[in-house]
Amino acid sequence: MAIIAEAIKWLLKHPVTIKYPFEREAPPKGFRGRPVWDMHRCIGCGLCSRICPSGAIEIIGRGQEAKIKHYVDRCLFCGQCSESCPRNAIKLMNDFEHARYNRDVMIYEYKRET
Amino acid sequence: MRREDRIVTKLREKLKEKIITINVPRERRIFIHIKPDALRESIKFLRDIGFRHISTITGVDTGDSIELIYHLALDGSIELSLKLKVQKDDHKVPTITDIIPGVVLYEREVHEMFGVNFEGHPDLSPLILPEGWPRNIYPLRKKYTLEHLRNSIFKEEDEK
Amino acid sequence: MSYGSIVKVPFGPQHPALKEPEHFLFEIDGEIIVNVKPRIGYNHRGIEKAFERRTYIQNIYLAERICGICSDAHTTCYTQAIEDLLGLDAPPRARYIRVIVAELERIHSHSLWLGIAVHEIGFDTFFMYLWRDREAVMDILELISGNRVHYAMNTIGGVRRDITPEIIPKIIRSLDFLEKRTKYYMKALRSERTVLKRTVDVGVLKPKDAVELCAVGPTLRASGVKNDVRGDDPYAAYDEIPFNIVTDDGCDVFSRMLVRCGEILESINMIRYALDHMPSGMLRVRMPMAVKPGEAVSRVEAPRGELIHYVKSNGSTRPERYKVRSPTLANIPALCRMFIGQHVADIPIILAGIDPCFACMDRLVFIDVKTNKRKSLDFESFSEMVRKQRNFRLA
Repeated sequence: MAIIAEAIKWLLKHPVTIKYPFEREAPPKGFRGRPVWDMHRCIGCGLCSRICPSGAIEIIGRGQEAKIKHYVDRCLFCGQCSESCPRNAIKLMNDFEHARYNRDVMIYEYKRET
Repeated sequence: MRREDRIVTKLREKLKEKIITINVPRERRIFIHIKPDALRESIKFLRDIGFRHISTITGVDTGDSIELIYHLALDGSIELSLKLKVQKDDHKVPTITDIIPGVVLYEREVHEMFGVNFEGHPDLSPLILPEGWPRNIYPLRKKYTLEHLRNSIFKEEDEK
Repeated sequence: MSYGSIVKVPFGPQHPALKEPEHFLFEIDGEIIVNVKPRIGYNHRGIEKAFERRTYIQNIYLAERICGICSDAHTTCYTQAIEDLLGLDAPPRARYIRVIVAELERIHSHSLWLGIAVHEIGFDTFFMYLWRDREAVMDILELISGNRVHYAMNTIGGVRRDITPEIIPKIIRSLDFLEKRTKYYMKALRSERTVLKRTVDVGVLKPKDAVELCAVGPTLRASGVKNDVRGDDPYAAYDEIPFNIVTDDGCDVFSRMLVRCGEILESINMIRYALDHMPSGMLRVRMPMAVKPGEAVSRVEAPRGELIHYVKSNGSTRPERYKVRSPTLANIPALCRMFIGQHVADIPIILAGIDPCFACMDRLVFIDVKTNKRKSLDFESFSEMVRKQRNFRLA
C-alpha cells in the first residue's frame, strides 16, 4: 500500500530532470568555467603559463606584445591561473559547453589590440 | 610521558643496536630507521604491542639502494614508519605476510614497481603492470624516466 | 555439496561507469566460490611518477584527479602532507571549511554507493530515489566550490574559497531535506524484504579477519571494529567537532549499508555544528617558496576508509617521491576473504559492498576446465542467469 501512496505523491509533482538542450539552468555564482584574459591588464609575465597544472596555457613573447594561447581541450578549470595572476587579468566565465568535434578549434588566442 | 615516547622506549629496549635512528617529528608520527636484518623481529614485536594495521609499504629509490618504508598504525592512531635500506640487486628481504596477512598486495606492488624480491611471499605474479611488460624494468626506479620508458618499451611496439 | 570439478570464472576487468576496473578470477565449485584471485591495475596511470615531475602547486590538482568521487579527501591529504613538511598550520576557519566540504563529499559518496548497491540487487526504484536526492548535495558543493566534482577547495596553507553567509541557509535547507530522506531510506532498508533477503548474512567478514587483513573504513566498522581516522588521528577541525563513530556488529553487506546510512546522518550533524561554530578569520597562509628536505605521512578518512599519502622532498621545487594508497586497495584482501563460500549470484553485491568503484561488467568468459570449452556471456544474459538462480534459491 505504501508504494501506491508514494507513486501518487510523485505523480502530481514536476519532473526532477529538465529537458537539457531546450531548457537550461544557469550555473551558480562563482562557477569555474573557461578562463578569459583581459589583455589590457595583462603584462605578459607568463606566470599563468608556468603554474598551469596541465600545460593548457602557452605564452608567445613577453611583455606588452605577448600572445596567449589557451588550449581549452587540456584545461582543468581549476582556476589556479586566475588566482595566481598578479594583475587580476584572468576572469572565469560562466560557459561550460566546450566540446567540439575538432581539437583545432578548441584553442582561444588573446592578443593586445593596438 | 607521551604515548609516542613510551613506544620509542619499548622499541629501544627490544631492538637495541639494530636501530639506526628514531625521529618523532610531531604528535602521532614516529619514523624509525632499522637495520635490514631486524625486519621480521621488529614487525613481530610491533604487532604484539598493538600495531596490527599496516597501511602500506612505500618504496623510495635513493640512488644506490632502495628504501622500504612500512607504515604501521596503532589502533588507528599512531602512525609508525619503519624504514630499512636494501641493496638494489643483491638483497634478501623476508616477507611479513605470515605476521600481518593484510600486507600481501603491498608487497606485490613494491615488487613490481621497484624489483624488490620478498622471500617466502605466496604469489608474486603481476598485479598492476600489464602482461608482456619487460622483465627488469621497474617503473618507479629513478633510472626509468618517462623518456627512457617511451624509448625502450613503446618504440618496439610501434615498430611492430 | 561439492560437484567435484572446479570451474574458473573470470570477472571483469571492464567496469567503465565508475572508477576502478578490476579483474577477479573466481574458482567455483558448482555455485560456491572456493577461491578468488584479484588482478588490478587496469586504471594505472603512473600518477606517483607524474608527481615527481610537477611542482607542489601543480600537484594539488593532480592529487585531486586520483579519484573523482573522493577528490576532496585526496587534496586534503596532499595539502596536509605538504603543510607538515613546511611546518605550516592552516587557519581555524580553513580547517572548518575543510571539514564541511569533506563531510558533504562523504554524504554524496555514501548516497552514490547506496544507489549502486541497491541497483546491484535489482532494486532500481530505490536507486533512482537516492540519486535524485544526491543532487541536493551536489548542488551545495557546486555552490560552495564552483564545480560539481573537482572542488579544488584546498590549497597548501588553507582553502581557496570561503563559505559566505548567503549560502548557509541554502546548505541548511538541503541538509534538512537530506536528513529526512536518509531516515526514510533507513526505515525502508530495514523493512524491505528484497533488501534483507539479498544482503543479510551475505559477504560476512568476521572482526578478527577484518583486523588481520587490514580492512579500512566502513567495511571495517561494519565488522564491529571502532576505527576511524577522524577520531583516532584527528586532522582539520575534527578534534573540535563532536561526532560518533558508527559501527555495526552484523559483519555482512546489510550492516555495511546501515553503517553508511548512519554516517550520512552523522555527517549532517557535523556540518550543522561546523556551520554554527565556524570561527572567523583568514582563509589561508602564504606558502613559503622553498620546501625543506624531509618527509611526512598524512592520513585522512576518505568516504571509503583510511587514505594515506607519504611525501619525501629533496629541497627542490618538486617532490622526490610521492606515495598514495587509496582505501579500495586496502580492502581487496578482505574482499577476497568475503567471497569464499558465497554464491556466484552474490558476487556483484559483495564486490559493491566494499564500495569499490564498480559499475558494469559487460562480458564474462566461462571456462569449463574439463572440456576447455569457452562460453561468453554478455551482461544481459548473465543477469538473466543470476535472476533465475536467485529465484531457485529462494523457492
